[in-house]
Amino acid sequence: MTVIARRLAGHLARGIAMVLVVATISFFIIRNIPGDPIAARYQKLVEQGMSPEAAERATAVMYGFLPSGTLWEQYVDYMGGLFRFDLGVSVTNPGTPVTTVLGEAAKWTVLPVLTGTLLSFLLGVTMGVYAAIKRSGVLGDLLAISGSLLHGVPQYVLALLMGAIFTTLIPVLPPGGTADILFEPGFNAGYIGSLIEHATLPVVTYALAGYGGWILAMKSSVVTVLGDDFILAAELRGMKRSIIFRYIMRNAILPLFTILAISLGLLFGGAIFIEKIFNYPGLGFLLIESVTNRDYALMGGAFLIITVAIVVANILADLFYTVIDPRVRSGAEAAA
Amino acid sequence: MSSAILETGGTTAAMRRDFWRGVWRVMRRKPSRLAGAVILLGFAFMGVFGPMFHPEPLPRDPDEIYAPMSAEHWFGTDGQGRDVLAQVVTGSRYVLLSALVTAVITVVLGTAIGLFSGFKRGRWDTVLMRLTDMKLTIPGLPLLLVLSTVWSFGSAVEMGLVLGLLGWGTVARAVRAQTLSLRERGFIEAVRGLGLPTTHIVGRELLPSMAPYIAMSMLITVTGAVYAQVGLFFLGVLPYEADNWGVMLNLSVFGGGALTTTAALPYMLAPLLAILLLTLGIVLVVDAMDEIFNPRLREE
Amino acid sequence: MPATPSAIPGGKTASGERTAPGVRIGGLTVVYRTPAGELPAVSGVDLDLPPGTITGVVGESGSGKSTLALSLLNAVQPPGRISAGSVEIDGLGDVVALRGEDLRRARGRHVGYVFQAAQNSLNPLKTVGRQLLDLGRSHGVGDLRALVREAGDLLGRMGLDGARVLDSYQHELSGGMRQRVGIMFALVLNAHLVVLDEPTTALDMITQATILRIIREVHEERGLTTLVITHDLGVVAEVADRLAVMYGGRLVEQGPTRQVLGDPRHPYTRGLIQAIPRLVGDIGEARALPGRPPTLATIPARGCVFRERCPLRMDVCESEHPPAVAHGARLVSCHAVEAVTAGARKEQA
Repeated sequence: MTVIARRLAGHLARGIAMVLVVATISFFIIRNIPGDPIAARYQKLVEQGMSPEAAERATAVMYGFLPSGTLWEQYVDYMGGLFRFDLGVSVTNPGTPVTTVLGEAAKWTVLPVLTGTLLSFLLGVTMGVYAAIKRSGVLGDLLAISGSLLHGVPQYVLALLMGAIFTTLIPVLPPGGTADILFEPGFNAGYIGSLIEHATLPVVTYALAGYGGWILAMKSSVVTVLGDDFILAAELRGMKRSIIFRYIMRNAILPLFTILAISLGLLFGGAIFIEKIFNYPGLGFLLIESVTNRDYALMGGAFLIITVAIVVANILADLFYTVIDPRVRSGAEAAA
Repeated sequence: MSSAILETGGTTAAMRRDFWRGVWRVMRRKPSRLAGAVILLGFAFMGVFGPMFHPEPLPRDPDEIYAPMSAEHWFGTDGQGRDVLAQVVTGSRYVLLSALVTAVITVVLGTAIGLFSGFKRGRWDTVLMRLTDMKLTIPGLPLLLVLSTVWSFGSAVEMGLVLGLLGWGTVARAVRAQTLSLRERGFIEAVRGLGLPTTHIVGRELLPSMAPYIAMSMLITVTGAVYAQVGLFFLGVLPYEADNWGVMLNLSVFGGGALTTTAALPYMLAPLLAILLLTLGIVLVVDAMDEIFNPRLREE
Repeated sequence: MPATPSAIPGGKTASGERTAPGVRIGGLTVVYRTPAGELPAVSGVDLDLPPGTITGVVGESGSGKSTLALSLLNAVQPPGRISAGSVEIDGLGDVVALRGEDLRRARGRHVGYVFQAAQNSLNPLKTVGRQLLDLGRSHGVGDLRALVREAGDLLGRMGLDGARVLDSYQHELSGGMRQRVGIMFALVLNAHLVVLDEPTTALDMITQATILRIIREVHEERGLTTLVITHDLGVVAEVADRLAVMYGGRLVEQGPTRQVLGDPRHPYTRGLIQAIPRLVGDIGEARALPGRPPTLATIPARGCVFRERCPLRMDVCESEHPPAVAHGARLVSCHAVEAVTAGARKEQA
């Protein structure tokens, strides 16, 4: 158990360092915005008749630090806010705390990303096994080539092509949004059907974009395990094929679970293109909007939450690995 | 590409002969790989000379807005009545130049840091690799988006510089791993035992043995850089001064509504096809290089 | 007389249920598919394993000895295949003709195979005990508790804490322990023909000695027929009753261990023995064989496989493969040896 604790501590330390670095980047960007909107904002509030103290506080609420402080004071202020989960107030959604805006957007990212990733994982792993077993045949070649192609092409190319096919050429799916405004949001068949209809293209595109990587990873993993001595040994002991198949699968899929956990974290930020193209109001969409509208507090928050997702996913991946692989569990790796 | 490897490699005549024999064998067995080289040469030609064949700015024809594909306009026209294919050609210079700058910076920085880290080992190694790890974990695209608010990507060189400065992590890791493995094989100690200076070890022994890998990762970096900058322009977060493929995608989708009407579809597909063709060319060439340099694959 | 599937692997007394089988390998040829066509790794091997004996096969790496061992289970891995010959095992018939389920059931139950110790012959994600249960289920063992008890007994007899080992993962076991676990897996289903491939390679000296003692003890206690594959003449000298020397895919000399080691006839056997440095005596006396053993691609297609490195080489060696000729209890394949014997016979006449 101490092994797990030690690994966890290391991951947490590295994760916190990462978050600090990212927050620092955000801070300096906000602080050094061209045109200094912080000072401008403060000026404007004073001109509107606010007392200088009240104007200062109002500006501070928006950006996370007092406009009049020294660099160091501002930095400490900003970071202190982070630890109280206070990320400031969004300019484009007046009066709404950044955390609220982020929470709303996360809703639209988490479910499609999760569905798309799991879908591509299941499909890719299954096909990867086939590609490995039939690797000297035509089917195996085709599977491997399709994997390389889908893996190599950038996400937006895939998304645009999917869009061109299913919304422009054969308009069977809606080109964007989360649901038709005709329907009352809530638990009714029309709204849910519309939700699903609108989520189809983003989810299928996520799935396709990920599928190539999974099929390649699973294929190479299975091929490696097939060459392992213990598989031949099991055969020579007369083990049943079904049991040997289970041995192969469990050993081959193990490293992929780690990639799965990590990729779930990555997709929070990786969904940017898909969300933009299909006009889907998730975290990636929010990040682009905040950049375009120069809503710095929101931008910093979105960047931070995307990073935190990656850090958390990395930690979870490692914990998960520790649980399922006896070699790590007993600390053999640390000893080796 | 090949001559560059030979020069950095400082190889002997025998190795050179082997190399060309390998090229010949690979080309003869799968002629499709020759197509890769032809495609890449075509793109290089397009980037260097293409813009010369077209007037600047491109002529507009108000009667031909979003014209369909025709003999005159192979990929139709855009919302201002400009020929799409001409835009792909003139836009290629920015895209290819910045990708080249990115690749050079990535490879030079990555190789230098990886070599240094693997060669020195110890504290420097730990610090550099922690840094690399962290850089690899920070999400790249969001970081670029955030940076775009304070950084101007006006020229192709600037764009390449930023992408290159952000992208050396993977190359550094791989080069370090190779340096360490050469070290483990007693390679460096053996050369040092002969009384040769460090510069000789690095320049004459280490680099040549890694040259194929470095050349290949340079080509792969080119594709990554093309994807990244076309993507950034496509998202519309950068102020654009000139046309390039990403701008074309952005205007076709968010201006011309290519995802709702067929009119702007050729405008969107042309740059996509250019990207796919470039990718194909690079994949084919990397594949061929892999087979020339990787003896394990060659044996089969 | 195949064993009934319900046969319970019994305790110490049950070893009498089955007796040590004899094995007759005849004209065995194994080829590997390569870009240069099908090349033989084993050619025309004739070898008898008398019931209840330990036979050692000695050869350098690449001599085809491991391929020969796998042939006893009809388990040559692609791109290799058995192209000719037979492996007759008492109670099982010709293994080369076995297919599918029959072959699978024969492996493990009739023929036990022990991997090289350094190899990882266990699933790293399952405990030894769980893999034992998988083995039992694969072979339709009804009483799994008895199987576990038997495995524990076997491990105990080899000096291990059975319960603890069964509860361990592969990475928690040392090389010597893994090897004993491998032997346990080969014996636990009551197989009476056991093939050990490099049983002591990569083990330290003390563990080597222990493993060899265990092999001999278990062999005698359970009444086995045992084949030991090794590159180490010392191992053979230690355990084997009979010895076969392999070179370039062919058996060049075979016979009782004492005779072959004491009075080697074939020039290759002599070379092997001379190459061993002695603890007593001058190190200069140890002479390595000149040249290198052939690989799959360089084995001569015609004539004697050893001629390139042979001090007694004659013209006939270029064109004709020397047939195995009996010299008492021994078989030797060498033109030069036959020429000398023929000469001696003439002198006597």
